[in-house]
Order: sequence, then C-alpha cells, then structure tokens
Amino acid sequence: MPGPSDAFPLLQLDNVTKILGGKPVVKSVSFSVVPGEVLTLIGPSGAGKSTLLRCINFLTPPDDGRVYLNGVDVCPTYRPGKHPRHADLAKLRRRVGMVFQSFELFPHLTVLRNVTLAQQRVLGRSRVAATARAVELLERVGLADKASSYPSQCSGGQQQRVAIARALALDPEILLFDEPTSALDPELGAEVLAVMRDLAFAGTTMIVVTHALHFARSVSDRVIMMADGAIIEDGSPAQVLESPHHPRTRQFIRAVLEDQ
Amino acid sequence: MWSDLHILVGGVANTVTITLLAFLVGSVLGVPLALLRRSRSFLLRAPAALSIDLIRAVPPIVWLFIVFYGFGTSVVRLTPYPSAVYALGAVSAAYMAEIYRSGLLAVHRGQHEAAQSLGLGRISAFLAVIAPQAVRVVIPSAVTWAIGLLKDTAIVSVVGVQDIAFKANYVSQHRASAVNVFLEAGILYIILSVPMAVLGRWADARVASVVAR
Repeated sequence: MPGPSDAFPLLQLDNVTKILGGKPVVKSVSFSVVPGEVLTLIGPSGAGKSTLLRCINFLTPPDDGRVYLNGVDVCPTYRPGKHPRHADLAKLRRRVGMVFQSFELFPHLTVLRNVTLAQQRVLGRSRVAATARAVELLERVGLADKASSYPSQCSGGQQQRVAIARALALDPEILLFDEPTSALDPELGAEVLAVMRDLAFAGTTMIVVTHALHFARSVSDRVIMMADGAIIEDGSPAQVLESPHHPRTRQFIRAVLEDQ
Repeated sequence: MWSDLHILVGGVANTVTITLLAFLVGSVLGVPLALLRRSRSFLLRAPAALSIDLIRAVPPIVWLFIVFYGFGTSVVRLTPYPSAVYALGAVSAAYMAEIYRSGLLAVHRGQHEAAQSLGLGRISAFLAVIAPQAVRVVIPSAVTWAIGLLKDTAIVSVVGVQDIAFKANYVSQHRASAVNVFLEAGILYIILSVPMAVLGRWADARVASVVAR
C-alpha cells in the first residue's frame, strides 16, 4: 500500500501570506495535504494558525500566494485587494468544511435545520434527502435525539458536534477545525475529540488547529509547529512532539504540558 | 366629563390609519435604506446615510408642512391625509432604517462567517441566517417607534386631518373649559397605545423563545 506521502496532494498552499493591521501574520507559508491525511497545526497564540486556516477557505483572503485543491487554483482570477469571485468562493466552500471555536450554530434554527439548511440551499438537495442525510450525520456524532432541539438547549460539546455534522453535510473533501475544543471544559472537549478521532479513522482529510497535544499525538499523521507566522517544524507527531529540533517548539510543548 | 367623547372617537380612525400606514411605509422603505447604509460601496452608502441624517435632523411637523405646501402645488394636489402619511412615512423610514441597522449589527460576526463557510450565497445567508436573528433585536425598538408615532400623529391636525387631536381642539373652542376635552383625548391615546405595548412585549417574548442565545 502506498503511504500518504506518495499520493497527489488534495490541498496545496503556495507561499500564502496575510498582513493584518500592517503586520505580517502569516509569512509565505507553503505545505500540502494528501487525501486522508490528518494534519495538526500547533503553536503559541498569535502564531498565525487560525489566520492560515481561514486563508484556506478565503474567509480571510490571502494577501499573497495561491491555494490549490486537487492541483487547481481555488480562486484563479483572485488578486489581493480585490474581492474574490462569488462563484469561486461558493465552489471552494462547498468542498472545504469549517468548524469554529465558538461553534456558530444558527441559534434560531433547530439542530436538524442547522444541518439541512446548506444542503438544500447550496447543494439543491430536496428536503427529504437533506433530512435523511442530517439524521444519518447526527447519529454519527451521537446526537440523533437532539434533532428537534435548539442549540441553546444543547451543551457546548453537543453544539460543537452538531457543527461538525453541519460541516460534513456538504460532503466536503477536507475539514478545517479552528480550535474546536478551546471553548469547552476538558470533559466536553473529549467528546468532541472522540468524534474527530472517528472521522480521522474513517479517512476524512482534516487540518486541526488545537492545543490538545494528546489528540495531535494519537490521531494526526503529521504535526506542523508555527511561530511568528511561519512554519518552524513539520514532521510526524513522534518527531515534532517528542524530539523537536527547534528550541521554540520544545519551549512551547513544555508550556502546554505544564498547563495541562 | 365624558360628554364629548363621542366626538373625539370620530377621530380615532384617522389617528389609527395614519399611524399604521406611516409605520408600514417606514417599515418597508427602511429595509432598502438600511441595506444601502451598510453597503460596501461608498456611492451607495453615502446618499443613504445623508438622507437618514437629513430626515432625522428636521422635526416631523416641519416635514409635514414641507410635504403639504411643497408637494401640494397646482400640478399635484395633495390633500391633508396623504401629506400626513408621506411625511410621517418618510420620517419613519429613516428611523426604521437605523433600527434595522442596529439589529443587523447585533448579529455576531461569526454567524456571517458560518453562513459563508457553508457556501450560502449572500441572499440566502441574509434571509435564512442574519435577518431572523436581527428581528429579535429590532422588535422592541420598532414597537417603541410605533407608539411614538401614534402620539406624533397628533401633529397632522395642523394641516387639517380630522384626527383625535383635531377633534379635541375643535370641541374645546366651544366649551368653557378645554381641560376636560384634552383629558378625554389623552385617555383615548392611552387606550390605543397600551395594547400596542402589550402586543410588542408578547411578540418580543415569542421571538425570544425561538431565537434564544
């Protein structure tokens, strides 16, 4: 069986740069992700991890560099400073799902409607088909019984699992997680990480920004350490987390472990 | 004291319909005005902001005179009643636009991003995600404005619309004491506005139970 590194990259970032408030937050970052790979991004706050993640689906359009999905530029006509084309963005976001730190479920809609809305509006699925898929996904994240509840009636961990189901509902090729457990206490965070672990084992391609180093170690195929907007270390979880080359990585890992 | 009430009640229909029509005009015209006011394009945003500020800078009674004497030229004859609806409708549109705008601003940025990240188009995102949440914030302010409008309609009597205030003023000139007449008018206004406040609280509670955060 060929290893992941032999496969053609699903996602490729080429010199992605983002400047916010006159300061470069992401500095010419390049890496690629192959199908089925689980990549964890670690690093101190302000390292540019979240901004980099948001550059991938153009929630924050990069100021320089390109993003490729299956070798194709996701926004070929895009030039920094201009608005990306709506059609390109729509296509990109159908293929790249995102899970936010603060869940961002739609509070006025039921759990079920949260998961069906984009299926119907974006993919044009019928209500029946969308509902069937939503129920299937809610079962997968262990929340089939919450379908008719409102987000406010769910715990934070439950809300985040619904948010994962909502992102999965569009059958994305890759899922981005922006600190998915940072707003949760450890117990609720664990139930979210368990769902993410199941997704990883089922072959979902994922990029995860997190401080949960045990998740990085036990689930991901690869860990990237960022500091000051740049990648300073990129390797297997064992290498980066247990025998880091860079002193900044050693310092960061020690600080996180002491905190936990 | 209730001897003139039956005359004043004759003005209720005008007071109520002018309030409703002006509120309706304002609620409808306020939507595009609020959206233009939020546009990314300066060419759309600036005129909207300017007209909102100009309308709000002039007292409603002055607008009423401007509409009544200004537009009601020999070409287009405006009778008092439509003048009142147009003037108060325009003022309402400016205030409702600001009420809508504050409602839209109250929707957290993350909600816009979640809608975008799901690939929802701008119209879908607005109608399905943003607007329903903005309504929650808009209702109490809109009801406050409507109640204020009900009372402000009293100014239409100066151009000759026979509303409650007009009738009260007319009757008072034929009575030894005007106080009783105006007390009765005041009570009529209370009878009309209290149910609006109750209805508003009910609507707010009802929306709050659905759009809980």
